[in-house]
Amino acid sequence: MKISYNFAFFDEGSKREIRRAALKAVAIPGYQVPFASREMPIARGWGTGGLQLTLSLIGKDDVIKVIDQGSDESVNAVNIKKLIKKTTGVEQTEKTSKASIIQSRHRIPEVPLNEEQILVLQVPIPEPLRLVEPSEYKTKRLHAENDYSGAWLMLFEQIMKYGSMSTGADHPVLVYGRYVMAPSPIPRFDNPKLTCSKALILLGAGREKKIYAVPPYTEVVSLAFDDYPFRVESFENKKCRICGATEVFMDEIIDEKTGMASYQCNDTSYCLKKLNNSADNQGGDISERI
Amino acid sequence: MRLDYVHDIQKSFRKVLDSMSRPGLINNISKESEKVDLEINFFNSTLVLMFMLLDSDISFKIISEKEEDITSFINKLTYAKSKNTEKADFIFVLRDAKPIDLVNGIKNAKSGDLINPHKAATIIVEVEEISNNKTLSLTGPGIERVNYAHIEAENSWILARSEKNEEYPLGIDMIFIDKESNILCLPRTTALSTKVVK
Repeated sequence: MKISYNFAFFDEGSKREIRRAALKAVAIPGYQVPFASREMPIARGWGTGGLQLTLSLIGKDDVIKVIDQGSDESVNAVNIKKLIKKTTGVEQTEKTSKASIIQSRHRIPEVPLNEEQILVLQVPIPEPLRLVEPSEYKTKRLHAENDYSGAWLMLFEQIMKYGSMSTGADHPVLVYGRYVMAPSPIPRFDNPKLTCSKALILLGAGREKKIYAVPPYTEVVSLAFDDYPFRVESFENKKCRICGATEVFMDEIIDEKTGMASYQCNDTSYCLKKLNNSADNQGGDISERI
Repeated sequence: MRLDYVHDIQKSFRKVLDSMSRPGLINNISKESEKVDLEINFFNSTLVLMFMLLDSDISFKIISEKEEDITSFINKLTYAKSKNTEKADFIFVLRDAKPIDLVNGIKNAKSGDLINPHKAATIIVEVEEISNNKTLSLTGPGIERVNYAHIEAENSWILARSEKNEEYPLGIDMIFIDKESNILCLPRTTALSTKVVK
């Protein structure tokens, strides 16, 4: 049976509700606005929050880019792109600079975003206090009372146990000096990109039914102590084995035979762009570089 | 040509979202509002916003000399419930309202509570003209350094708004629309000053 869906899958009532939540989220930076998360044709926890935001934002003139942990071609990104394409017919791209809406799982692209773009981040656990307080009833009150001792204690305990803050990703941030927010599981490397971003950043958690936002040019500070400052992952003296990039977030790849570690860009479209540029200049071949 | 309830509303929404994200940025929705083919005695662009925001889940209040007629019309059109100013989710202050009505609307609107600050009202105000003339300076999230705005209306609402928004995150969010379908948003985080910073 062939079903013809409404533009962007949703009925207009669903879009309207998500749009109202998005406007409130922008007006209260970092605050989690509840919304009636819809059933989607992908499972909750697989990017439905981001997808619902994207579908309520998208129009015929948009150019969409979807990435999953830096990759344009992994299963999650490809399936979400297919759904968007089938129900909207909009143009897709892998070039960060060409996209008007970028939906991303766990990365902020390496190419700086501009004022015409919207970044939609998929969020599994939007509540930064969830690890210390399982009750939603209570965490809402902790936010109301500006009581973030739980988040600070979590970082303090990490320092006590491991000698440093050990948040691999999702390091909590303070938005506009008021709300502590989970920035979604982006690496610490991406946290500084949140502050005073030129693009609007919207975050959607489908399973947890929350939408929140970081408006452009908004102060976002990663939580840290005076004597234990916030540090991003270090890739000092490391370069991408494919394109030779430095000072970007890289994946560590261990050769099973030799046990040697090598590194390559996590953001595949950035890596490809850099490689193409250098290949154009030098007539190089990718197979020679790996 | 009739207003397209899918694509025209989507385009208008993106412009409102852009203006809400960047207070002081004026976006124009005249391309969409020109397509409104209903006979109404308020701005077409206000009706576009009503289609964008109102449905049976939420409530609204019309502040106008023709309040009764317009309320009934909008209720039939969108199924949104009419409530008094203290309880309404969206308050529309139309062009024929007096300056004191806007001030009272701001004072009486709900500003949410600390647990649910998103339950605050959004006030949509029709004004004669909006521009970026340097009458008001705007600072806060969404603004790189300072933005400027001129809103052609009696200034009494400015004090009422700043009193209402004193205890962030409580407060009201405002959307101004002029007769040329320009849109300018002032979320509760935007600080207004009549002294222009140079």
